[in-house]
Amino acid sequence: MTTEVVRPARDSAEAATLMRIPAFWIMLGLLAAGAVRMSQIAGRFFTAYPLATATSVALFALLAVPFWFFVTELDFLEREPTGLLVLAFAWGGLVATAVSIPGSAALEDLVAKLGSPHLAADWGAALAGPTVEEIAKTLGVVAIVLIARAQINSVLDGIVYGAMVGLGFQIVEDVVFSLAAVSLAGQGDRVQPVVATFLVRGFLSGIWSHTLFGALGGAGLGYLVVHRDRSRSHRIGVALLAVFGAWASHVLWNSPIFSDGLGNGLPGLLAVLLLKGLPPLVLVLLIVRRVHDKEADYYVGRLAALGDAELITDDELSVLGSGARRAAARRHARVRAGRPAQAAVRRMQRAQAHLAVELSRESVSTDHPCAEIRKQRAVLVDLGHPEAVTGPRSWRHTASTAITTAVAIAVLFVALSALGGG
Amino acid sequence: MARITRRQLTNLLGALGVVVTLAGLAFGLPALDRSLPSLRAVPADQPYPIGAGVTVVPPAGSTVDLTGTRPGTQEGKALFRLGPVQYAIDVRPFAGDLMSAAERLRKRITGTPGYQVTGAQLGVATADGLAGVQGSYTAPGRGGRYAVYVTGGLTIEITISGADLDLGRSLPLIEDSAKTLRHDGETG
Repeated sequence: MTTEVVRPARDSAEAATLMRIPAFWIMLGLLAAGAVRMSQIAGRFFTAYPLATATSVALFALLAVPFWFFVTELDFLEREPTGLLVLAFAWGGLVATAVSIPGSAALEDLVAKLGSPHLAADWGAALAGPTVEEIAKTLGVVAIVLIARAQINSVLDGIVYGAMVGLGFQIVEDVVFSLAAVSLAGQGDRVQPVVATFLVRGFLSGIWSHTLFGALGGAGLGYLVVHRDRSRSHRIGVALLAVFGAWASHVLWNSPIFSDGLGNGLPGLLAVLLLKGLPPLVLVLLIVRRVHDKEADYYVGRLAALGDAELITDDELSVLGSGARRAAARRHARVRAGRPAQAAVRRMQRAQAHLAVELSRESVSTDHPCAEIRKQRAVLVDLGHPEAVTGPRSWRHTASTAITTAVAIAVLFVALSALGGG
Repeated sequence: MARITRRQLTNLLGALGVVVTLAGLAFGLPALDRSLPSLRAVPADQPYPIGAGVTVVPPAGSTVDLTGTRPGTQEGKALFRLGPVQYAIDVRPFAGDLMSAAERLRKRITGTPGYQVTGAQLGVATADGLAGVQGSYTAPGRGGRYAVYVTGGLTIEITISGADLDLGRSLPLIEDSAKTLRHDGETG
């Protein structure tokens, strides 16, 4: 494995380092300006519709939680600093939205003026929104690169930061849309339009929305930063292609294509959602899988070279590189030795990942993660479950997966019915 | 005094590039939009498409404001200007009856700070016999009229606003125009 896949960070995003970076202060200024602008909008909504605004913020904030955990779990082995993830999220929610509101409206007006009102009615949302929003979101990842370039040391890091910018944008945009629906309904401070928007934009559009587009653009910037073995023109070309892919996916989603549906009822509506949303989702998942596996191979390779079974066994090496297998190992520990063993496995996996990152950075001292691994190993030995490996698939897990799938399908059915597909 | 390193200078230029691009999106695009004329003349003897199969014959001498006009297949809107008076028509899918549509519009009007509905709500009809309701409202420094119709799963909302003097001059022309509202029965 070469370092082309991962460029190990030499330093971290410590406060003292950030203070000396001009881009950090400029980014803070932009975040403050965005916060003021979005607070003005939120204040107007809160004055007119306090209950609906509070409900909307609470619902969409809850929606952000699973997305946040999913995105951060992608980067389990080499976790990004929480402060930078928060900055990326805030950029999406405050800066990108504050810029996109006037920018998109103006671009749609330009489509009407230079084309026709019919063109703007049919394609305005498809052309104006993606053009302004994808640029504004991509600049969020550029800002992260400017203030903490060392933290972007794999394509996966670009995906994580891009997804976080997109997630921030998605959540704030959903809140604004839901309150616009309250205003349009003309029924006063009611929560029904918020709930309907939550079902439609949260569940039906949530999976293939800004988080996905942001991840695609972020992958391109990650490639641009990391793959120094390639020519500059090649890397810029790949980055532009990725941002174009994000833009094209967004255009397809907003476009009037299939706006009349594919037949009546739920199947027709579902077919449209899948046709428009599935291609970019599959593309991003394939990219994530490829870069995740490459990164996992790189870090697991560092641990394998130690040849120390007390720090990590051969079976644990195969577990550590996969999120599904790590989760299965934690479940297996709980079944065999209870929750203390599950917690110990989680801590040991984190320490093993930490050690792999320190080894990749050729750190002088790896004492801290090694001591933590040995400590958790001792706990596991005492509990009679010395190795963090996967067990046979349990009927409980199978039943839990089946029930979760059934609930997800039921929620999808309700959301589609609310949309009028029934 | 600390010196600025080459790395910091590059970083600063990169950050300024980000700021300039954002400013271009947030202020440049709206400035470009404002620099282009938004009013277009419309023939006063032909039906103008509002959206979702709804048409209206615009008042003589009016112009259409492209920033408020989006004739879509499922819904649409048009914004006409007759001098300083605004004449807006919105068409949207709607499942309720005429009274609930009128109530919805009234609440939206009174939801704007300073806006008050005045007087009683009266019946109104288009030349094709489509029945609706109309009323009036006041706002600081200006007055307004509204009318609502419900047909074929759509609500058609008309709002007219302007200074009282201008409104008095333009209202007869706009009321004549509103009577020409038609829905061809097909949305899209």
